[in-house]
Amino acid sequence: MNYLFHILVMIGIYVILTQSLNLVMGYTGLLSVCHAAFYGIGAYASTLLMTGWGVNFFVALPVAVIVSVLLSFVVSIPSLRLKGDYFVLATLGFQAIIFGIMYNWVSFTRGPYGIPGIPIPTLFGFAFDSPASYTLLSLGLAALVVTFIYLITSSQFGRVLKAIREDEIATQALGRNTVLFKTTAFALGAGIAAIAGSLYAGYVRYIDPTSFTVAESLFLVTILAIGGSGNIQGPVVGTIILVLLPEVLRFLRIPDTIAPNIRMMLYALALILVVIYRPRGIAGEYGFE
Amino acid sequence: MLLQLLANGLCAGALYAIVALGFGLIYRTTGVFHFAHGAVYTVAAYLLYLFGATMGLPTIGAVLIALTGAAVSGVLSEVVVYRPIARRISSPLATLIGSFGIYLFTVNAIALIFGNETKVLRPGVDITFSFGPIVLTRFQLLAFLAFVAVFVGFLLFKRTQLGRLLLAFADNPMLVEVLGWNTSTLRIGVFAAGSILAGIAASLSALDVGMDPYVGMSALLMSAVAVIVGGVKVFEGAIVGGILLGIVQSLVVWRLSARWMDVFTFIILVLFLLLRPEGLLGKAVRLEEAR
Amino acid sequence: MSKRCEDVPTLEVRNLTRFFGGVAAVKDVSIAFPPKRITALIGPNGAGKTTLFNLICGYIAPTRGEILLGHRSLRGLKPWQIARLGIGRLFQDVRVFGKLTALENVLVAFPNQVGERFWEPVVRRAQTLKMQRQNVERAMALLELVCLADRANTTAENLSYGQQKLLAIARLLAMDAKILLLDEPASGVHPAVLETVMNLMTSLAKQGRTVVFIEHNISVVLEVAHWVYVLDDGEVVAFGLPDEVIHDRVTREVYLGV
Repeated sequence: MNYLFHILVMIGIYVILTQSLNLVMGYTGLLSVCHAAFYGIGAYASTLLMTGWGVNFFVALPVAVIVSVLLSFVVSIPSLRLKGDYFVLATLGFQAIIFGIMYNWVSFTRGPYGIPGIPIPTLFGFAFDSPASYTLLSLGLAALVVTFIYLITSSQFGRVLKAIREDEIATQALGRNTVLFKTTAFALGAGIAAIAGSLYAGYVRYIDPTSFTVAESLFLVTILAIGGSGNIQGPVVGTIILVLLPEVLRFLRIPDTIAPNIRMMLYALALILVVIYRPRGIAGEYGFE
Repeated sequence: MLLQLLANGLCAGALYAIVALGFGLIYRTTGVFHFAHGAVYTVAAYLLYLFGATMGLPTIGAVLIALTGAAVSGVLSEVVVYRPIARRISSPLATLIGSFGIYLFTVNAIALIFGNETKVLRPGVDITFSFGPIVLTRFQLLAFLAFVAVFVGFLLFKRTQLGRLLLAFADNPMLVEVLGWNTSTLRIGVFAAGSILAGIAASLSALDVGMDPYVGMSALLMSAVAVIVGGVKVFEGAIVGGILLGIVQSLVVWRLSARWMDVFTFIILVLFLLLRPEGLLGKAVRLEEAR
Repeated sequence: MSKRCEDVPTLEVRNLTRFFGGVAAVKDVSIAFPPKRITALIGPNGAGKTTLFNLICGYIAPTRGEILLGHRSLRGLKPWQIARLGIGRLFQDVRVFGKLTALENVLVAFPNQVGERFWEPVVRRAQTLKMQRQNVERAMALLELVCLADRANTTAENLSYGQQKLLAIARLLAMDAKILLLDEPASGVHPAVLETVMNLMTSLAKQGRTVVFIEHNISVVLEVAHWVYVLDDGEVVAFGLPDEVIHDRVTREVYLGV
């Protein structure tokens, strides 16, 4: 039973992560490979506030979101001027830089030693210390995030983002400041990723930089590409596959030592097949075509 | 001290230059951001391990097999993945994602077969050579010599008909097709050549420090940085970028610390992307055309 | 649809020049486009007509010269700012939003919507929904006008070329553009669509708007245009009433190289 709760908590966290990247990648058409960096910034910001200053989780979380949004401008404002491959490379560069800072600025982040002893989130005396209660927290936040994203994408804001994705020049010809929209979408994506980061930190109660690498960013892109993006369903499908696949492999008695490799190979194969035969993924609306 | 650092940097940069030249050749000629170049690199290293260490073939033989394996891997990427994508989709980002898929699959397959731990090919202390105040290991020397060979070879190649054809193809693939050349064969040739270069660098590095399944990512990232810094539109840019990268990294390690080397490298990448995307050797894009 | 358009300012280019490398794509062009008039720009390919549009819309910067909307200079403004001033553009390659439905294509074009800023759909929910409903009605009316109402829920990439062109024009109408720059509105469309397009152009001008169009189809020019400019090699080589210009010797030379 506890194991089921664990899966549900991870689903909550990854739904938030994939939906936030979806806003950037699926709706606005920006292939960003620095998303794990904002996940990490969220995790580190809330962790440092909670462990260093004794701030309550529910206060640390919005602050972490703000920090992530502000740092997103450092990435987006210079990078959004770049086109195609170059934009992707720039986000890759920033991901590596941010990881490098997390890993090497030992006096601030404790680097590779990580930060242990993250307190359990509490709200007005109620502590989310049982698997059941944390599941509620995780899925609750996920529901809020999905609702928020649904609301903004089903309105004109989302329509303009999609228009930018389809044809930025034509969108400008309709009187929209496309740079502002792209920057906003990127910032929203970063902020929401920080929510996932805070949730993750409060759950595992120990973080280190190895959860927030280039590989993790690339992995998020892979999940979105396979499950689909550009609508609400795609990322959910992607998340479910992400969470269920390890279970399927376990069921097939694949040993734990090679299971991660097999999993990655399956994702890679799925990715290649998707790109060739079904660019919009399993349930998505948009693929790079 | 400084001279030794420069020499170390030069030899490290020599390997970067070789693998970057391969990457740049492919990128400039075919437009594909060949993420799987990292996979090809890894394949070469592990083939060397399999035939050199496990099966005990003489080093030269193992290296030749590694290079052949690299070429085959590169060509397979083009034929099995890139071509089907190109037939259906025009976006270069799709090819990038597909290329990453190749990398992910290959590297994990290798980890599955050989394990995640670092493998070393020849244990023991290295033979060193002294050149005045500078001391180089056998492999540093080899790296430098390989680099010179590749560089000279490349310059000579540019003068041949095939070389000029490739340059024309890079600038205008359609014109070359119209003139009667088979572009798909040319592309295969380019992938083979670029992959062999990756294989050379991979072999030298593997013989020197060994390998693990993740060395390819590092090689790929350095290639990309070298090509951007040196200049995408000029093939020699990869070479210049690679050498410079090696030297700068060596100096950064001396001045700051080894820990910040990666961060520094990527700061350089980002700065070039933003401020001088055409690279050191590229022609500056005119302001009015940049709009 | 009768929306009178009052006080549309005159769009004017003065001594407009643009070099690409050593070649002048547009050379010292001075043209005024007053309201209520349909002006045609004709000339061989490469004459600089589309470049002129791109200069006016802000996608490229002039080397020399002025672009004025009334008294206001448009130089240095970004394309989206120029569009907001009321200048609408139909592109030669149409540029509809492929994965959006026809309805969504038109919806996205309405200016100043509540729900456009990301917090509005959450914080000002009721108003957002209300405006959305109103805009859907307006959008359907526009789609009716261009005979695409039955295709409202088809994705734009699945429409025929002619239908996409009509959709792009509906978008311009949704934008309530005061000045319309149409790049080859008649090319590649079949007669029924063409009829609709020409009627739209005429009624738009009657409402008080400015219509400027680039065309190769001379019969369309003769039918709709009030005034014609002939461009060749980046320069204005002739202008006047359509009948006179089309049958003029200079024009013949320019087109036929006689």
